[in-house]
Amino acid sequence: MGFTSNLFNLVGLVLLGHAVYSAHEHSSQNPLHLPSSPPSFSPLTTPTSTTSLPTDIVLETLFSVLLISTGIVLGSSSLRPIQWSKWAGQLEREERVKKSVKEIREGTGNPYRILEERPGFVDVRGKRKEFMEWVRKGDDLAAK
Amino acid sequence: MSAELLYPPPQISPADSLRLSQQAPQVLKISVSSSLPYPLSLLTSSETPEIWTTIENLLLSCLRTGDDKSARVCLDRLTERFGETNEKILVLRGMYQEAFAEDNKALEKSLERYDKILEEDSTLMLVRKRRAALLKSMSRPTNAITTLVDLLDVSPTDVEAWAELSELYFAQSLYSQAIYCLEEVLLITPNAWSVHARLGEILYISSPSDSNSLKGLVESMRRFCRSIELCDDYLRGYYGLKVSTKRLLSELQTVSKSALSDPQNGDLAPPSVKTVEKLNEAATRKLAEIVRRSTAGEAGWEGFDPAEVHATRELVNKDTQTIDR
Repeated sequence: MGFTSNLFNLVGLVLLGHAVYSAHEHSSQNPLHLPSSPPSFSPLTTPTSTTSLPTDIVLETLFSVLLISTGIVLGSSSLRPIQWSKWAGQLEREERVKKSVKEIREGTGNPYRILEERPGFVDVRGKRKEFMEWVRKGDDLAAK
Repeated sequence: MSAELLYPPPQISPADSLRLSQQAPQVLKISVSSSLPYPLSLLTSSETPEIWTTIENLLLSCLRTGDDKSARVCLDRLTERFGETNEKILVLRGMYQEAFAEDNKALEKSLERYDKILEEDSTLMLVRKRRAALLKSMSRPTNAITTLVDLLDVSPTDVEAWAELSELYFAQSLYSQAIYCLEEVLLITPNAWSVHARLGEILYISSPSDSNSLKGLVESMRRFCRSIELCDDYLRGYYGLKVSTKRLLSELQTVSKSALSDPQNGDLAPPSVKTVEKLNEAATRKLAEIVRRSTAGEAGWEGFDPAEVHATRELVNKDTQTIDR
């Protein structure tokens, strides 16, 4: 997905730049015929269709914007579930799956884990003892 | 940088914490300080919030595995960055000292140190929590409970403290107090599926095995149902639902009709036998599906705890065997 979206974005940006440049060139070649009288706000004095942009530039602009939008949508990360139960179920199942630093930074963790683990009340000595036991058990197994 | 240290998996096993603490040399090699003078150093420094979380988690797992040298380095780096009076640093330093306490005397000294800090500033919630945790690990649960009750008087919206208090009461077999504390947690975080499941478990354990356990069992079943409603494929919730409906079915058959509408059995009338049977069947079906799919390692089903899945398989198998007979 990454490559396609980058390609779309790049081509879209080049086309958009080209369209903008063409529009600028076109308007400098055909300056608007300003009326000699002071501007009045009646609809009769608006520029006629002869001074509007040619169709190909308009089409190019629209096409490039469409291309860029597609590229951005393709490149965005997958949507997260908006139903609570689906979201929670996904969280519970992905808690043990390894994540990248970027995903963690985006905050995909379980907000209620603190209630189960209670990091403010960690029993340091108990954990240490448990670990020692585990090491001793491993040694015993190895000795056998 | 290791993502595992930044967000460690839940209920970390000794083997996992050993692996985590063995990453110490690589993590501590990272230098975040910049060699340029002050205003420029802001631009060139590679410091991120994640690095400090990583170092803190590393400190905890080093303390657990007894890698005291790395723990010291972690603590020194954190102190250098955040200052000695920072609340979190005070707590981490206290934990470091607790870990090395050999006897009760040293622990008493740690306790005195916390008391002294709190005398100066009694609003340091983390230190107060740490003090309660130390009392608990010194096997003085009564004192720990008093400390926590005092803390909750001051800050009644602290869910972590409510949850801890509930566990303390539970360890003392004071079930109704434990249930009350978890209900307080649910008032603050009503959608916490794990708390609903835990409440169901405590209700199930606390309901006596004689005939007037109906109210507790029904309530427990309802809590498990809510946890499943809040979280799809929640293994713990389905397991609890199966166990509680099974006991409820045998209870409902012995209870007379008039007792069902007795207000002693709760404000809501107990569910009919048919409903409970249906729930039991649904739970069995779901548990069997979870066991099957996660053992086969299907995509999206590999996140379950292997030990939990194993226990579930035992439960389901035991049940089907009795039906066969």
